[in-house]
Amino acid sequence: MSAEVSVPPARRSITASPIFGKIAASLVALFISFLLGALLVLALGESPLEVYGLLISGSLVGMPNFLVTLQMMSPLIFTGLAVAISFRAGLANIGAEGQMLVGALCAGYVGYAVELPALIHLPLCLLAAFVGGLVWALLPALLRVYLNVNEIVVCLMMNPIALLLTGYLSTRVLKAPGPTNKLPDIQPTAELSTFSLFSQANTGLIFALVLCLIFAVVNVRTMRGFEWQMIGKNAKFAYYGGVDVRRRALTVFLVSGGIAGLAGAEQVLGQYRAYYDDFSPGYGFDGIAVAMLAQFNPLAVPLAALLFGALNGGSAVLQMMTGLSKHLVQVLQFIVVLVLAAKLSWDWLKLGRSQTAAPGSDPPAEGPHVTAGDR
Amino acid sequence: MSEPAPVIEMRNVVKRFGDFTAIHDANIDLRPGEIHALVGENGAGKSTLMNVLYGLLPRSGGEVLLRGEPVDYGSPNEAIAAGIGMVPQHFKLANSFTVAENIILGSEPTRGFNRLDRRRAAEETAEISRRFGLEVQPGDVVGDLAVGLRQQVEILKTLYRKAEVLIFDEPTAVLTPQETRELFNTMRNLAAAGNTIVFITHKLGEVLAVSDRISVMKQGRIVATLDNRDVTAQQIAALMVGRSVILRVDKAPPSELGAPLLRIRDLCARGERGEVAVDNLSLDVRAGEIVGLAGVQGNGQDELVECIAGLRRRASGDIEICGKPTGRTPGDNRDLGLAYVPADRAHVGLSLESGLWENLSIGHLESFRWGPFMRTGAARKRAGELIERFDVRGGEIDKFAGSLSGGNQQKVQIARELTRPAPLIIAEQPSQGVDIGAIESIHRILVEMRDAGRAVFVISADLDEIFSISDRILVIYRGRIVADLAAEDTDQEEVGRYMGGLEDRPRDGASPERTAHVG
Amino acid sequence: MDLIEIAFSAVRVSTPLVFAAMGGLLSYQAGMLNIALDGFMIIAAFAAIATAHFTGSLELAILVAVLGATMLSALLGVFTLKLNADVFIAGIAIIFMAYGLTALLLKGILGEDGVFMSSAIPRFPTLDLPVIESIPVVGGIVSGHTLLVYIAWLLVPLVAWCLYRTRWGLRVRMVGEAPEAAAAAGVNVDSIKFQTMLLSGVLCGFGGAYLSLAYVSLFANQMTAERGLIAIAAIFFAKGHPGWTALVALLFGLATALSVRLPQVTGAAPQLLQLIPYVVTVAALIIVGFRTARSRSKHGAWKFGWN
Repeated sequence: MSAEVSVPPARRSITASPIFGKIAASLVALFISFLLGALLVLALGESPLEVYGLLISGSLVGMPNFLVTLQMMSPLIFTGLAVAISFRAGLANIGAEGQMLVGALCAGYVGYAVELPALIHLPLCLLAAFVGGLVWALLPALLRVYLNVNEIVVCLMMNPIALLLTGYLSTRVLKAPGPTNKLPDIQPTAELSTFSLFSQANTGLIFALVLCLIFAVVNVRTMRGFEWQMIGKNAKFAYYGGVDVRRRALTVFLVSGGIAGLAGAEQVLGQYRAYYDDFSPGYGFDGIAVAMLAQFNPLAVPLAALLFGALNGGSAVLQMMTGLSKHLVQVLQFIVVLVLAAKLSWDWLKLGRSQTAAPGSDPPAEGPHVTAGDR
Repeated sequence: MSEPAPVIEMRNVVKRFGDFTAIHDANIDLRPGEIHALVGENGAGKSTLMNVLYGLLPRSGGEVLLRGEPVDYGSPNEAIAAGIGMVPQHFKLANSFTVAENIILGSEPTRGFNRLDRRRAAEETAEISRRFGLEVQPGDVVGDLAVGLRQQVEILKTLYRKAEVLIFDEPTAVLTPQETRELFNTMRNLAAAGNTIVFITHKLGEVLAVSDRISVMKQGRIVATLDNRDVTAQQIAALMVGRSVILRVDKAPPSELGAPLLRIRDLCARGERGEVAVDNLSLDVRAGEIVGLAGVQGNGQDELVECIAGLRRRASGDIEICGKPTGRTPGDNRDLGLAYVPADRAHVGLSLESGLWENLSIGHLESFRWGPFMRTGAARKRAGELIERFDVRGGEIDKFAGSLSGGNQQKVQIARELTRPAPLIIAEQPSQGVDIGAIESIHRILVEMRDAGRAVFVISADLDEIFSISDRILVIYRGRIVADLAAEDTDQEEVGRYMGGLEDRPRDGASPERTAHVG
Repeated sequence: MDLIEIAFSAVRVSTPLVFAAMGGLLSYQAGMLNIALDGFMIIAAFAAIATAHFTGSLELAILVAVLGATMLSALLGVFTLKLNADVFIAGIAIIFMAYGLTALLLKGILGEDGVFMSSAIPRFPTLDLPVIESIPVVGGIVSGHTLLVYIAWLLVPLVAWCLYRTRWGLRVRMVGEAPEAAAAAGVNVDSIKFQTMLLSGVLCGFGGAYLSLAYVSLFANQMTAERGLIAIAAIFFAKGHPGWTALVALLFGLATALSVRLPQVTGAAPQLLQLIPYVVTVAALIIVGFRTARSRSKHGAWKFGWN
C-alpha cells in the first residue's frame, strides 16, 4: 500500500513516562509468574501460601538469611549486568554461564599460583577473570559479528564446553591434593573480604553495585552507550549513520563476557576461596532472567538480582522443608522472561509510548518486537 | 451503444482514519468490458478507495454493490472469491519459486493425499497465459524474470482465480515504455474479453492512451467521471489540482560550477542476486548544481547509491567524494563530506523504535562528544530546534520515529542530513510518500543547498520531480548512464525514450569522458 | 566387527537428533528458527518416563510425551505468533522453563533429585528386520533397533515428500520465503507457521520419548544435553533440506558414538571425549558462517553482515 493518505499527526499519548510503563510491565510479568507458580505448587499438592512464605522467610527474615540473600545476589548482579548490556545492543549473549566458569577458573588459578601483595594480587585476579570471560565470549562474538552465525546457538554450545573443560582442568591437571575436585586454595592476598563470619557475602557485592552504576552512566551518557543502543534498535540504521557496527558490537559482546567472568571471580575469591569443579547452580542462566526483569537497565539489575537472589536463597529452605525442589525458582524466573519477551504487558495495557502511525500511511514501524538476535 | 449494467457500484463510500476522512462520499460505477482510469495526485485517495473495494480496508460508510447485490468484504480473500483481483504496485512474489507455483499458491490443484498436481498447474497457467497473449512460461523461476514479466505473473495470479474485475495499482511505475505498451495491449485484451479494468495512475498521457472512462479524485472526493473522447490532458490536470501539474521550483539558473564533489569512474557493482547491477558507470556531480538521475526502477540506481554511501561493496571502479577516494564504511564516507537521504526510511534512514532526538543525533555524534562522554542535553536541545525549524508535525524529541506519518518521517531524515556540514548531498526519492506542500518545501531546501555551493544528486523514479529541480539530468538504463542532458534543453518525452533504452547515443560534451582502456 | 558396532550405535545415537531436526526443519522452512527444541524434548522425556512408571505402558508413555511437547510448542507458538514475542528470547525462556519444570516435577511427582530409574518401566523391544538382518554388514547396522529408530528414519522421506510434493509443503516454503506473497494469495501465514511449530512439538515429543525410554531407561535433569541445538546446527548445515539434514545428524551421531567408545581404547579423560559432539557442532557452525559469508560477499550488500 503506497502512501495515498496523508495522516494527521498521531494523537499525543497521554500516558505516563516510558519508565513507568517498563516498571509496570515487569510487575505484571512477576505477577503472572507468581500466579502460575502458585497453580503449579497447588498441583503438586503443596500450599502456595506456605511455599511463598518459606521462600520469603528463608531469604529475608533474620540477619543470617538476609546475608545468604546478599551472597546469592552478588553473582546474579554480575551475570545480569553482562546479559543486560549485550541484549541492549541487540546481541543475545546467553553464554554467561560458560564465561563465568572460565573467569572463575582463571581467578582461581592466578589466586593460588601467584604470590604478590594484596594491592596487586586481587586486581590481577579480577583482571584474569575478566579476560577469561572475554576470551570465552570471543568465538560467539566473532561468529556473530563477522559471519552472522546465530549467537544463541553458539553460546549454548560454549556453556557445556566450558563446563567440561574446566572440569577436566580442575579434576586432572590443576587439581589440589585430596578427595575434592578443586584447585588449591587461593592466597589470602587474593581474597575478597567478607562482611560477617557467618556468611560468604563479600566486598564483591559492592564491586558489582559500582559496576552497575558505571554502566548506567556508560549507557546514557557516553558515545559508546549511545552507539550500543542504536545498534540494538536498528543496526542497519546505526551503520548508515556512521557507527562502526562491527567493532562496537564486538566490544559490547566481549565486555559482556568479561563481566560474566567477574561473576566467577566473586565466587572464587569471595565465597569459596578456591575454584571448585561444577560450582555454579546456573548463575549465568539466572542472569538472563535478571536482565529481562530489569529490562536491560543497569540500575534495575541489582533490584532484579535481589529478588531472584532472595528466591534462590529461600529455595534452599524450600527444598529441605517441602517436597518441592529449588527448581521452582527457575520456573518462576523463566515465566517472567517469557511474559516480558511478549511485551504483552505494555502493548495490552497501553502503558508505553504510542508505537505506530495510523493506518493508511506508509507501512509503519516494523512491529515492535525485535529485541535481540534478529534472524 | 446502450450502457451496460455496471458490475460494481460504490455508493457514497466514506473512509475515515480516526478523525481524518480519507474518502468523502465517493460514487463510482465500473462497467463490464471497460478500462476505467482512476487518476489523482499522491494522497488523493485512489489506492484507499480501491483497498476498500478489495477488502483490505473496512469502509466507514456507504455501500458497495456487486452486480446489484450489496456486498461487504472483510478480507481480500472474499473479494477474490467474488471475482475481484488486484495487481499490486509492489509485486508479492516468491523469487526462488516457479511462475506456476506462484500463480497457483492459495488455490492449488491437487491429486489424492493433497499432492500438488504440477502438470495441471503448468497446463492451466500456460493456457491462461496464451489466451491473453502473455509470454511467461510456467516453469520459469520468478527471480530470473524481467520486471514486466513479473507483472504478468501478478496478472495471471488474478486471472487464475477467475477475476473479472482487475485493479492495477500504478502498474507503469516500474515499466519501460515498451513494457508499458505491452501492458496496455494486455489490458485491452482483458477488457475485450469482458473483464473490467481499473487503472490507478497519475500519469495523464497513459490515461488518455488506454482508458475508456476516467474518474478524477481530489482530496478524497471523486470530482468527475468523464468519457475519454471528451477530454484533454489539460482538463484532467485542472480537475486534479486546479493548477499546473508540473511543479517547477522557482530557482535562479545555476551560478558558477565548482569542482566535482562526486566523481565516479568505471563503477561496477552487483545486485542482491549477484547480477551485474551497475555496469562501468561514470559520472560527475559538481559543486553548485543539482543533478537528477532518472531511470525506471531496478536499473541499478539503488546499487549505485549504496556504493556511494558505503553500504554496498563495489566490484570495481573508483568513487571520489570531495576529491578523496571513498572509505570502507558509511561512516568514512560521511567524514569525507557526504549527506545521504535514503529511500528506505523504515530500515536504513530511521530507527523507528527510537526517539526523535536519537534519530536526529546520529551522524552528528562528534559534535556532542566530550571525551568519551556524550553531551545528551545538547543533542536533545538541538533535536528540539530541528523539529521546530523543519516543521515536523507531532514531533516531540522523545517520541518514536515510527509514530510519525511518512511525510514527517521524511522531514526528520532531511533535517538530520541537510544540517550536516557536508558539501555533497544525495537525496534518494526525496518526496516519496510526502504530501504536496512538503514536497515543495523539500525541493526548495535542495535548491537552497545548491545555491550555497553544495553538490546535490537527486535520484527519483518520478520524472516530474526530476524535471522540477534538476539542472542536469542523467538517465540510467541497465546500470549505465545513457544520457546526460541539460534540463532546459530536454523534455520528458526524450528522457522517457532514454529510460526505455530506445536511444543510446554518445553523451553530450558535459559528461565525463570514458577512460580509454575500458573494454 | 567393532566398526559395525560403532555404526550401529551411531544410528541409535543420532535418532533423537533426527526427530528434533525434522521437527525444527519444518518451522525453519516456514521462516521461524525454533531454538526451543531442547525444551520440547526434555518435557517429552520426562512425561514418557513418568507415564511409563505409573502405567507400565510404552504406548501410553509415548502418547503423553508427544502431547506434553506439543503443548509446550503451542505455548511458544502463541507467544511468538500471537503476542509478538521475539522468537529467540521466548525460545530461551521455554528451554530453561522446561529444564526447571521437569526437575521440579521429578522431585514433586517422582520424589527424586537429579536422576530417576524404575523397575516398573518396561524395556523397549528391539526389532529384527526379517530379510535385511541377514545381509552381512548392513544387517548388523540397520537391524535390531527399536521401533522408534525406524520411525525416525522413515520420517525423513516423509517430511521431504510433504515439503516438496504436497500443497501444504508448497505453502510452508512460500510462507518461509515470501510471507507477503503467501498472504496476498490467501494463505494464512500465521496458521501455517503455527502448524509447523506444533509439528516441531510432535516430532520432538517422539525424540524425547526415545531418549528416556529407548536410548536409556531413565530420566535425568537436562538429559537432552543440547541435542535440540545440535539438531539446529544440522539444519543450518544442510540449509533445511530433509535428506541432508538427516545425514548431518548421522555424522554428529557418529562423532558421539566414537566419543562413547574411545575412552575404553585410549584412556583419555572422559570430559575431553564428551566435548566431541559440542566441538563438532561448533565447527559445523563455523563452516556454515564462512559459507554464507562467501555467498554474501559475492554481491557485498550490507557488508557488516547483519540480518
